[in-house]
Amino acid sequence: MAKITDNISAEDRKMLNSIFLRSFTVFASCAGGSITAGADGWLYSEMPAINRYYGDDPEARADAMKRHTTWYNITQNVGTFAMGLVASMERENSTHPDFDTESIDAIKVSLMGPMSGIGDAIFWGVLRVIAAGVGINIAMTGSALGAIVFLLIYNIPSILCRYYMTYLGFNLGTNFITQLYDGGLMKLITKATSTVGLIMVGAMTAANVRFATPLAIPVQDSDPVLVQTYLDAIFKGLVPLAVTLVCLRLLKKNVNVNLVLLGLMVVAFVLGLVGVM
Amino acid sequence: MVGLAFMAWLTVVICYGGNWVLGQCMIERPIVVGLVAGILMGDVRTGVIIGASLEAIFMGAVNIGGAISAEPVTATALAVAFCVGAGIDQSAAITLAVPVGVVTAFLSIALNNVVLAFFAKPFQDMAAAGNEKGLAVQHWLLWFFKYAAFALIAFFGVFFGAEPVAAIVNQIPANVMAGLNAVGALLPAVGMALLLQMLWSKELAVYFFLGFTIYEYLGLPMIAIAVFGVVIAAVVALRDKEIFDLTHKAAATAAQIPAATGSDESVDADEEAFFA
Repeated sequence: MAKITDNISAEDRKMLNSIFLRSFTVFASCAGGSITAGADGWLYSEMPAINRYYGDDPEARADAMKRHTTWYNITQNVGTFAMGLVASMERENSTHPDFDTESIDAIKVSLMGPMSGIGDAIFWGVLRVIAAGVGINIAMTGSALGAIVFLLIYNIPSILCRYYMTYLGFNLGTNFITQLYDGGLMKLITKATSTVGLIMVGAMTAANVRFATPLAIPVQDSDPVLVQTYLDAIFKGLVPLAVTLVCLRLLKKNVNVNLVLLGLMVVAFVLGLVGVM
Repeated sequence: MVGLAFMAWLTVVICYGGNWVLGQCMIERPIVVGLVAGILMGDVRTGVIIGASLEAIFMGAVNIGGAISAEPVTATALAVAFCVGAGIDQSAAITLAVPVGVVTAFLSIALNNVVLAFFAKPFQDMAAAGNEKGLAVQHWLLWFFKYAAFALIAFFGVFFGAEPVAAIVNQIPANVMAGLNAVGALLPAVGMALLLQMLWSKELAVYFFLGFTIYEYLGLPMIAIAVFGVVIAAVVALRDKEIFDLTHKAAATAAQIPAATGSDESVDADEEAFFA
C-alpha cells in the first residue's frame, strides 16, 4: 500500500492528513437532519482543500462551499475516498476555468450508493461481527478486556482504511471504482467478505441464542426422559437455529423488525412462564 | 439517585456523542457502553456482563444510512444503572433494556429529522457566504448539545424510574422471572437474523451452517473460527480471481483490446487492504 502515499508533495500530504482527521467528525452534527444528512460534516472535512485551492479568490471559495451543501451519506470508513477524489477535482477546477463543476456533484452522488454498499457490508456486516464475536466471548466472563479487544479488532483496520482511502481517492480518481464494478471484481470482494461474515454469524448464533428445556417425561420405575437430551441427539442447537431462521424468513418477508422483536419477546416469555424453558 | 442518574447521562454523552466525533469507532455498542457505565457506576463486572448480553441482542441494530431500529446506548446505560444502582436482577434489567432501546430509537429519529432540520438553512446560508468559522462553530456546538440533550432521557429514566421499577421487579414471582430469562436467551436470534438478512445469498448460505456447527460441536473460540473463515474466503477468492482473469483475458483478446494490466494491480492492492 505504500505506493499510494508515495509521490505526494508535502503540501498535498498536509492537506490530505487534515481531511483524514476532520473526516472523523463527518456525521457529528448532521445539521439539517434528513434534509442534508452529513453535508455539514463533509464540508467541514473538505475545507482544507477548498481553502488551499481557492484561498485567494473569496468568490470562487464561497461558490465551492455552497456546492458542498447537498445531501451526503457514505459509510464513513470508506467515504474518505470520495473526499480525496473531490479534493483532486476541486484542484482541477481551480486551475481550469472551463471545468464543469456539475461533475463534482455528480461524482459524489454516484459514489454514495456503491461505496456505502461496500462499506456497510465490510465494516458492519463482517468486521464488526468478528470483533463482537470475539469480544462477547471474553466479556461474558466479566472481563473488561472484551470491550478493548472488540474496539481494537474493529478500529485498526477501519482507521487504516479511512487513511489510505483518502490518498487513494486523491490519486486514482473515478476510474478505479467504475473498473471495480464494470469488471465484476466487486462481486468477488463482496462474495469473500460475505463468506467470512456468514461463518461468523453462524458461530455467534450458536454462542448467543440459547434454549434449554427442563421438560421431562416421567417413566415408571425408571429415570424420567429428558426432552433436551433427545433434541440434542437430533442436532445440537436445533431450536436456536430454527428460531433464528424463522426470524430471518419474517424479515425477508418485510415484516417490521420491531414487530419480530416484540413477537419473539412474547413467545419466549410465555415459554418461560409455563416452564417449557 | 441524582449521582446515579448523572452517571447514566455521562455514559450516554461519552459513548453516543463520542462515537460520532471519533469516526463511528463503535464505542456506542453495548459491549463498550456496559464497560463505561460499569466503571462510572462502580461495578465493572456487572456492567461488562450486561453489555455483552445486550451486544448479542442488539447485534443487528446499526445506524445504516440514518435508519435505526434500536438505539442501544440509552438501553445499556439504563440496564446497568438499574442493576448496579437499584439492585434489579441482571436478567430483568437486560429484558427491560430491549423496549427502552426501541422507544429511544424513535426519539432519536425524531430529534434527527425534526429538530436538526431547522439547522439546514443556517448551514446553507453560511456556506454560501463563505463563513468557514460559523460552519465550524455550528458543527461542534450542535454536536455537543445534540448528545447532551439526548442523554437527558437516560438521566430522567434513572432519576424517576429506578425506584418504581425496582419495587416492581423485586416482587416478580419465580415463573415470571423464568419468562424474562427465556426472553434474554432467545432474543439474540433477531439480531442474528438482521445480520443474516444483510449477508444471506442462496449460494453462500451453507457457510452460515458451517459456522454454527463448528461452534456447537467443536466449541472453538471465536477468534479461531474467524481465522478459519478468512482462510476459506481467501482460498475461494483466489480461485475465483483465476477464473475471473481467464474469462477477462478471453474477452479482451476477442475484442482485440489489450488488457489494462496496470489497473488490475491497483485493484489487487486494494483487495489486500480489505482483508488486512
